[in-house]
Amino acid sequence: MRIGIALVCIYTGIAVLSFFWTPYDPLSPGVGDGYDPPSSTFLLGTDRLGSDMVSRLMAGARYDLGITVIAVSIALSAGTTIGVIAGYFGGVLDTVVLRLVEVFQAFPGLLFAMLVVQAVGPGIVNVILVLSFVGIPDYLRLARAEIHARRDWQYAEAARMVGNRPWRVAFRHLLPNSAGPLLAFTSINAAFVALITASLGFLGLGLSPNTPEWGSMIARGQDGVMTGQWWVSFFPGLAILGLTGAFYLLGDALSDLTDPRRR
Amino acid sequence: MSADLLEVENYSGSFRSKSGQLAPVLHQVSFRLRTHAITAVVGETGSGKSLVALSTLGIQPPSFVRTSGRILFRGIDLLTLDEPGLRAVRGGQISMVFQDARAALNPVFTVGRQLADVWQLRHRGSRSAAMRQAIEALRRVSIPEPERRARQYPHAFSGGMAQRAMIAMAALVCEPALLILDEPTTGLDVTIQAEIMDLIVDLTRTQGLTTWLITHDLGVVAEYCEDVVVMNSGRVVETGSSEAIFTTPRDVYTRRLLSASQLAEPA
Repeated sequence: MRIGIALVCIYTGIAVLSFFWTPYDPLSPGVGDGYDPPSSTFLLGTDRLGSDMVSRLMAGARYDLGITVIAVSIALSAGTTIGVIAGYFGGVLDTVVLRLVEVFQAFPGLLFAMLVVQAVGPGIVNVILVLSFVGIPDYLRLARAEIHARRDWQYAEAARMVGNRPWRVAFRHLLPNSAGPLLAFTSINAAFVALITASLGFLGLGLSPNTPEWGSMIARGQDGVMTGQWWVSFFPGLAILGLTGAFYLLGDALSDLTDPRRR
Repeated sequence: MSADLLEVENYSGSFRSKSGQLAPVLHQVSFRLRTHAITAVVGETGSGKSLVALSTLGIQPPSFVRTSGRILFRGIDLLTLDEPGLRAVRGGQISMVFQDARAALNPVFTVGRQLADVWQLRHRGSRSAAMRQAIEALRRVSIPEPERRARQYPHAFSGGMAQRAMIAMAALVCEPALLILDEPTTGLDVTIQAEIMDLIVDLTRTQGLTTWLITHDLGVVAEYCEDVVVMNSGRVVETGSSEAIFTTPRDVYTRRLLSASQLAEPA
């Protein structure tokens, strides 16, 4: 539980640090000879073009972590807001929103992201928007179900009874009760988004080719795996594994924090 | 000020089933609440006594349809008010205490914060001032160590303590003219019941409240209430002073109720 918080902090720290300092320039090829094995000069070796792996991994943190965090934040706030409104007020709006969401959810997340990125064109902003769009339906459904179930509970009635406006009851009184499930889901979703980000990079979609994104770094190291230069693909893979794991562990911690009974 | 704060006049209504059929549940319900008195509305489960109270605040179930009648509060028919109008009445004019206080408190906020929120809703003012008022209100309803209790979450409150906190919110923080209590002592220990009722009587006197007590406990009625309205299957069968009802019940149903509660001498 604490490990999750610690890991996410470490990743964030590395991402921030990479703006100010990396051992070598992560973008320039030829700082080494190409496929240098891990050594005291290049701690994790160099890739095919001779770029330093440590520098590229550090710079990669800001892409993978940054894209994930921003995309998840957008999906969480937009999805939850629409979900709360649909769940609390119900009626035609609720029905229309749910049917729309079902249409989107008929596509697998990764496939949908691939298609849309191809359609709207590359660029980091597009990637972020597409990834958040893929996440919105899940948050929407979860928030909607939570609020719908609590709408007629007695403390909601009690809140209305002292003269609170409906939106205040929905967002200030009911939504905090759903913080646990929503945050727990957010972490699972963050892990999923991190994986899709890396998958898009691996497939060469969205970001420009030399971007030190972990997924595209794995792709660049593929040939090396066959000929013994395992480090080029292995370390970015490890970084992705660590980040996904960190998000899962963080979710447990967050859902405990939001429940007064378990604090 | 007139002698009656609230008048229910010929209030009738039905539940509409999914197929659109109407099932009448309230029949020409009429009674009055004398200002500054404690009036008990008694009757068994399903007699419609809670439904009238919910209608007063505009929170009757959506499937309930009024067919006739008025509920006059200070001369205004509450049944004709729109949402903003009702919001102005709720809390500040009429407030309500529910049967299960622990379900009526929001589990994720401290009790103090919930009272403070309501105080801010009514009076504006700063967060810390509101919290001081909340603690004062808790002290006023004899909750021990109110400063510490205010920082606790509802799950740390016993049923009796939670009911005190709800009464503090409804009667003190909201400062209403009319306080509705829907079976406030059901499910509590007998000793706690007596303490809660003493508190309700005390607050009615000191705050100048008009109190509408919904209950099926005739012992409570006999001991604490001035006026009684007896309801049976959606009808008011008898109204009068508590003394009159207990000594000379006129209606058959009232007599049955009294003998069932073992308060009346066996005939």
